[in-house]
Amino acid sequence: MVRMSSLIRLGAAGAAILSLSLGAAADNGAASDPYAGAVARTVRGIFEYSRWPQPRNPLVLCVVGAAQHAGQLGNFRLVDGRQVVRRNVAAHVSALGGCDALYIGSIALTAQRQVTASVRGKGVLTIAESDPGSSSEAMFALTYKPGALSFRLNIDAVSRSGIKVDPRVLRVAKGGS
Amino acid sequence: MADKRQTQLPTLRLLLARVHLRLILFAVLLATASLMLSGALVIRNYMATNLRLAADTVAYSAEPAMVFESREAMLEAIDTVAGYPSVDRIELFDPQGKPLANWARPHGNPQGVVVRLLNSLMWPDPVLAPVSHSGEQIGEVRVYGNSGGILRFLVAALVIALSCIALSIIGTRILARHLQQGVIGPLEQVARIAHQVREQRAFEKRVPAAGIAEIDRLGQDFNALLAELQAWQAGMLSENAELKRRARHDELTGLGNRALFERTLGAAIAAGQQVALIHLDIDGFKQFNAAHGIESGDAALITVAERLRTILRGEDLAFRLGGDEFALLLMPAPEGERIDAVIDWIAVAMDDAFRLPDGQMTRVALTTGFARYPQDGISTGELLSKADSAMATDNSPDQDKESQGNK
Repeated sequence: MVRMSSLIRLGAAGAAILSLSLGAAADNGAASDPYAGAVARTVRGIFEYSRWPQPRNPLVLCVVGAAQHAGQLGNFRLVDGRQVVRRNVAAHVSALGGCDALYIGSIALTAQRQVTASVRGKGVLTIAESDPGSSSEAMFALTYKPGALSFRLNIDAVSRSGIKVDPRVLRVAKGGS
Repeated sequence: MADKRQTQLPTLRLLLARVHLRLILFAVLLATASLMLSGALVIRNYMATNLRLAADTVAYSAEPAMVFESREAMLEAIDTVAGYPSVDRIELFDPQGKPLANWARPHGNPQGVVVRLLNSLMWPDPVLAPVSHSGEQIGEVRVYGNSGGILRFLVAALVIALSCIALSIIGTRILARHLQQGVIGPLEQVARIAHQVREQRAFEKRVPAAGIAEIDRLGQDFNALLAELQAWQAGMLSENAELKRRARHDELTGLGNRALFERTLGAAIAAGQQVALIHLDIDGFKQFNAAHGIESGDAALITVAERLRTILRGEDLAFRLGGDEFALLLMPAPEGERIDAVIDWIAVAMDDAFRLPDGQMTRVALTTGFARYPQDGISTGELLSKADSAMATDNSPDQDKESQGNK
């Protein structure tokens, strides 16, 4: 796990050639992950534009497995007043009870698929941190470019999830499913 | 002088054309101006609605972009309305007033100055739309209007107005020509007739019917006036002729008087024409008058005049010079023997008796003498005195006649 994070940091250091602020962040180690702020902002945005079948407050955001960029992803408050509470859970299907949203960390693809399959149709929001091939079947998959964070939207997964996502989010997303 | 004034005065056709042109120009300009103004106002109102719509659209679709802080998505949101013709500039600000994204319509150089000027006049302030998320303002959209559309409308309206004016000018010309045929034509007819009447004294001319009530009435009055003038002139002419005739003719016998005789002979001499003058006298007229009375004397004079007239040829003329004195002018002058023959005819003609007013039958005889121009004299007086003296010398045969007449 340490090795992996250093690998990411190496990639980040490569990106630092283009971006001074990112370079400065890379020097400060894992605690100042260059994408951490963007990830927290993006997850929060996704929450803002998602509607659960039954309104809940607070919403429970479960970080599944080991996450690389969830450093700044803490408890936060949505604009409409709802609270979001972060909880770390193991990357196992049985550990997902009570979760309203899953932030799926950097775990194996098969494990990611198991997790997304287990919550399908149950009104649980799924965000995959590390899914470059878009094969996790999570509703949202984060994508990383040097200095910029974006996400893809899996419309098929969204429509099966039971959660309503504001269509305007489609415009912000990259490429779609 | 009259011609000069005529060229300076404008014709009725020109006046009518001018009035029409002014009227049409006024109407076209008024219509164009009001149409342009109302059109520009309507367009501006539509544009205002459009700008409001564009601002709201951008605010709505930029909201998630701002929540996600994605500049690309912000630009995309702006792009959705960037094509609107009424939009000139779109700017996106965060709540602190920091610009996040913007778009501006590119302007061509020569046209751009005008459009920018018009934009600043028509849209001095942008249309504002807050970007809010769940009731909280997270940014602001500012949309500036583009007046290129209004400019195009104004230019098109101006072009249409100019073509309307051009069409109107052509129309006025045609209208003026029609008016000339319909109104000015008949009027000119009246004017032409009046001119002819004045120039040629052609009082028999009449104005034809015009087909327009007013001008027809004018023409009728004019014709009536002409008829009066014609009658008046005819009367004056005949009166003049009568006066002239009276001045030159003897009242009693109807023959030319001494004045006409002298004028006629003078004219013939002036023309170099050969003339024979026969001078005649009634023998013993004083005694005849005394014996029978003045009325019978007049009857004798009338009878002599009638008989002299009967022997005249085409060109010959008879005159009563005064009292019992008559003269014949034979033109052209015949030979000497022919003159003698004429004198014999006169004697024969006088031979018949005639009835006096008191019923008595009688006859008179004439003493004759003649002179010829240019052989016997070259002036009227000379010829007359020559003929007179011939009458005095040549009276042996007349002596017989006189004695017969006095019997």
